[in-house]
Amino acid sequence: MAVATTPEDLAALMSRVAAGERAALRQLYEATSAKLFAVCLRILSDREESEDVLQEVYVTVWRRADRFDAARASVMTWVSTIARNRAIDRLRARGPMAYADQVEDLEIPDGGVSAEALLVTAGEEGRLHQCLSELDDRTEKVIRTAFFEGVTYEALARRMDTPLGTVKSWVRRGLAKLKGCLSQ
Amino acid sequence: MSEAPELTETEAFAAEHALGILGSDERRQAETRMASEPVFAAQVEAWRERLAPMAEAMTEVPAPHALWLRIERSLGANDNTVIERGLRFWRGATAGSLTLAAASIAAAVMLGNRPPVTLTPPPPGQLLDASLVSQSGAPVPLFVAAYDPSRKALIVTSLVTPNNDPAHVHELWVIPADGKPRPLGILQPGKTVAMPMSDKLLPSLAAGSALAVSIEPPGGSPKVDVPTGPITAVGKLAKI
Repeated sequence: MAVATTPEDLAALMSRVAAGERAALRQLYEATSAKLFAVCLRILSDREESEDVLQEVYVTVWRRADRFDAARASVMTWVSTIARNRAIDRLRARGPMAYADQVEDLEIPDGGVSAEALLVTAGEEGRLHQCLSELDDRTEKVIRTAFFEGVTYEALARRMDTPLGTVKSWVRRGLAKLKGCLSQ
Repeated sequence: MSEAPELTETEAFAAEHALGILGSDERRQAETRMASEPVFAAQVEAWRERLAPMAEAMTEVPAPHALWLRIERSLGANDNTVIERGLRFWRGATAGSLTLAAASIAAAVMLGNRPPVTLTPPPPGQLLDASLVSQSGAPVPLFVAAYDPSRKALIVTSLVTPNNDPAHVHELWVIPADGKPRPLGILQPGKTVAMPMSDKLLPSLAAGSALAVSIEPPGGSPKVDVPTGPITAVGKLAKI
């Protein structure tokens, strides 16, 4: 299946979606849905709910395509932000302690990147992973877990049996380091 | 990178929101700040962009084929009609991303690229739209509404972030020239609904009538013809 993959392809698709072209939305779906489905599954660990979120995401994209501003974000960031936000909202509805217990092994492949993938990833993607790996292991793990699972500070603190304030300062310090590393 | 300067409190909060680590209350707080503080919103967006490559590195999981069909069907319900285009234009204008001139150029380009089409004559009745802006703090558009005479329906989109608050709902009212509110129905946060308008209500849907949204207990205002909760957004219907 020939799908649009470059950021430029996706941006061009978005302007056609904004103009009301269903075929363009379909192409955008084909190019991005597998990634977004993975994002939702990882946060919700529930297929049915993840499918519901995915449906909401593309309907939102269809309706709000005109709000997408290529000068401010890439299409992939924009759509994955919508997906993460919707999935996290659903997760929050389960309460702040969702995933406070270590989750049993999920079928979903790990979000951590494999060594070979790291070799082939270039540009920004590779750079973020490089910078994340320069953090101490614990901080890297906490930041990755927060991102991939959408868990709260409270749940993380409980899971790690560590005071909330401590987890918070790890994360904040880690994010500051990350910013420094990425800006180099 | 042993020493990194600390993030300001504002940026740290923006980064936490982008990371998705905040609990419900703080998430809501962050969304509200994004709507009213451009600097904060820009920081959140910058952090989303920084962190996004993590999602891109995830192993893909193909979504079931039937899902696209489901999506396509739900698009049908909110078809890409004149109204939808009008709404979209309106949203673009309020988002500040599209000036009128830019929109005209975009429209000209779009039309130029399309094969000639026969335009059907517009349906009888008047197309109307309204933007309902917040009543406290800076005026932020919270709802957009458009009246489609061909469907005799008011299409209303809630731009409010769903927050799963089971204790309150948003109820829509129309207040025509006589000043008496008429209830139109309940709005779902973040969703678009097409509300069919009865013949009795039609005269109320005129240019100059106000649309208002009040916060009510589940099921809507316990009084028949008066909002009981605070009014959260108000706008006037105008001809498109």
